[in-house]
Amino acid sequence: MTPERWQQISRIFNRAISLDSEERPAFVADECGVDQSLRSEVEKLIAAHSNASAEKFIGGLAAEAAAPLLLNDDDFESSPKVLTEGQQVGTYYEILEALGAGGMGEVYLARDSRLGRTVALKVLTLEVSRDERRMQRFRQEAKVASSLNQSNILTVFEFGEVDGLTFLATEFIDGETLRDHLRANPLKLGEILDIGIQVLAALDAAHEAHIVHRDMKPENVMIRHRDHVVKVLDFGLAKVAEKLKKGEASEAATAFKTAPGTIVGTINYLSPEQAKSEEVDERTDIWSTGVMMYEMVAGKVPFSGATSSHTIVQILEKDPVPLSKLGNAPPELERIVEKAMAKSPDERYQTAKDMLIDLRSLKKRMDVEVEIQRTASYTTSIAANRTEEVDPRKRRVLLVALIGMAIVTAAIFGISKWRASRARSNAPVTPPAATAPVNERTLTYWITVQKFRDKKPFQDPFTIPGEMIFEEDYQIRLSFSSPQAGHLYILNEGPVATSAPEFNVVFPSSTANKGSSSIAAGQVTQIPEQSWLKFDAQQGTEKLWLIFSEDVVPELESLKEFAGRQTQGLITDPGRNKVVQDFLNTHSETKPNVEKGERLTTLKSSGKLLVHPIKLEHH
Amino acid sequence: MTRVPNPQNITQLLAEWREGNQSALDELYPLVYDELHRLARRYMSRERKGHTLQTTALINEAYVRLVGQKNVVWANRSHFFAISAQIMRRILIDHARRHAYAKRGGGAQQVSLDEAATVTPDQSGELIRLDEALKSLAEMDPRRSQVVELRYFGGLNNEEIAGVLNVSENTVTRDWNMARAWLYQQLTGSGAN
Repeated sequence: MTPERWQQISRIFNRAISLDSEERPAFVADECGVDQSLRSEVEKLIAAHSNASAEKFIGGLAAEAAAPLLLNDDDFESSPKVLTEGQQVGTYYEILEALGAGGMGEVYLARDSRLGRTVALKVLTLEVSRDERRMQRFRQEAKVASSLNQSNILTVFEFGEVDGLTFLATEFIDGETLRDHLRANPLKLGEILDIGIQVLAALDAAHEAHIVHRDMKPENVMIRHRDHVVKVLDFGLAKVAEKLKKGEASEAATAFKTAPGTIVGTINYLSPEQAKSEEVDERTDIWSTGVMMYEMVAGKVPFSGATSSHTIVQILEKDPVPLSKLGNAPPELERIVEKAMAKSPDERYQTAKDMLIDLRSLKKRMDVEVEIQRTASYTTSIAANRTEEVDPRKRRVLLVALIGMAIVTAAIFGISKWRASRARSNAPVTPPAATAPVNERTLTYWITVQKFRDKKPFQDPFTIPGEMIFEEDYQIRLSFSSPQAGHLYILNEGPVATSAPEFNVVFPSSTANKGSSSIAAGQVTQIPEQSWLKFDAQQGTEKLWLIFSEDVVPELESLKEFAGRQTQGLITDPGRNKVVQDFLNTHSETKPNVEKGERLTTLKSSGKLLVHPIKLEHH
Repeated sequence: MTRVPNPQNITQLLAEWREGNQSALDELYPLVYDELHRLARRYMSRERKGHTLQTTALINEAYVRLVGQKNVVWANRSHFFAISAQIMRRILIDHARRHAYAKRGGGAQQVSLDEAATVTPDQSGELIRLDEALKSLAEMDPRRSQVVELRYFGGLNNEEIAGVLNVSENTVTRDWNMARAWLYQQLTGSGAN
């Protein structure tokens, strides 16, 4: 039937039934004229209309007709008793309000009168509580979670039965799941790292206890509103690693099919070994965490097909679209996520701790870089452009300071920022403290490295605690701080000594730090502030002599006059060069204690003077 | 606690859907489905004796639970009812299908005498045939098909349907008459083309 025909029929039909029944045949005959088939259609419809009215055809509601079907459906869980506000559950719990429904029953906010604390009370449906397999899951969850005492794992207080109600009492988290959080906000990089770090800290604790979660997904990660603390939930599918047998692994794989009301999407976090129902171990959680991190960065899961089977094929065979093509994740984060999602468990991070270390390290690096880039972000091109201006005669001095030499000024960072950064750091650094002993010198330093190619910054700057083998294209910047006030001098000694070593003055200069060697306790000094130090073509080991003294060092104090652009810092007076050489020979015999952390190196010496060469090997 | 939908999200999704974003519907669907399904079960167990299911009350409750009283925007509410009617249709038809399948012996489980007394195989079969006929109607005349869905599956009255579809109540009445007559014809086999 064409739409036109249909409209024609319905127009005549509607007008006809608005008439008294005895007037209808004449009206229809008149309207249809010679079109007998039209007339027949309309007449049959009018008859159907009369019968349908008389029989009250679809006069009620579908739900009424289908109600017995709903009632008898095997799939249905009988609802639990509905609890109301103020109702007492057992001796201890008083219902405060209904929070919502989970897959297994209703969740209430309740007060535990014994300890006066607020708890989340998950009351299981009758059907669940009669199902031994599912009850086993809850016992398991209660047992596993209560054996794990870690701040990022949801605390389970009690699993019990009272008045015919089976319930699970857990810590109440006023927050939202990562699923809801993802839906509401695009996440910032710092937040993604914070969430990832906390999830992995939870998994690290679980794995230490040989417990594999097996069902990591955004629905099982909660973020508390108050302080953004992350809690991992639902160890109901968790297994003690040693006891895992073949076949058990598939439980998680099938759980999404059997749990009624489960939101589709659970399957997206399955590891390849889970998808294949193979044995799983701790590394399956690494995979799922990688998938979650990918989703946080990209805003979508890495593996998603039209059907479950398509998704599984992707999980098993496809490489996800690289994160660098989807968001602006730093390359290091992309590397971490890709490693977590290696198809073969052997190629993944082998422990949650390893992945945790990498994420923490990335987070710290970003914190440090934020500080550094805050004051010096526009200078790399200046540095690159000035490369050609270096006097060829000075080429044998291998570390050449560029334009920065003339305009070196000490960057003075807010001390509170520095302290905050240090507090987050695990590096073995003595925090700046006013009470540091006076008969000891402490100096902390780190090096920021920027790789250049074709005179352009080639990758994001990164920070290292000290020695590494540098390549020609690397440019560096040094940062220092000490909990003590004192006088700082930095000299560069090139690798090749034809007769006597030659020294370049790096700090202080006539402009840097206002020409003063004096630095305050807790001050962060960055050298150079607005430029980079560059290696030239000659290979070898550069020495950067650090001299940090409680008092002014007369032999070094006047050297800043050489640190001008005209001389590139080279000490052109052979006599004064000799004085420097003698000074260093004398005082470098007492070596400071070197503590190298992940991010920073800390030097400590007894006495009032600290002398230490940073050796920079380059090729 | 792990899957409490956030009222802001639901409200926003409804608004997006109203503005024509179909993917918002994809996100809404499972949330509303879960809630309606759960409530339907609870209603049935509460009212086991009478076997009545107050669809409108049920959808209202789902709406209040998901969106909250504070966030009631009429346009959203209409759309919520529209999606709920669609979902109720799917829930009921799914159950009817399973039931019919079990009756044919596809399901292994025994059907109790008690159950057999309350449900005749015809009821589930009729619902399934109605669903099929509604699909045919939708191909020819989507609006009339939707009127039936909203009224029969969603429990809406003509005034509410007029609001959802943005037409007059008279139009709803005419659409209903035509659609019902046509469906009756299809299901009874009277006057097949």
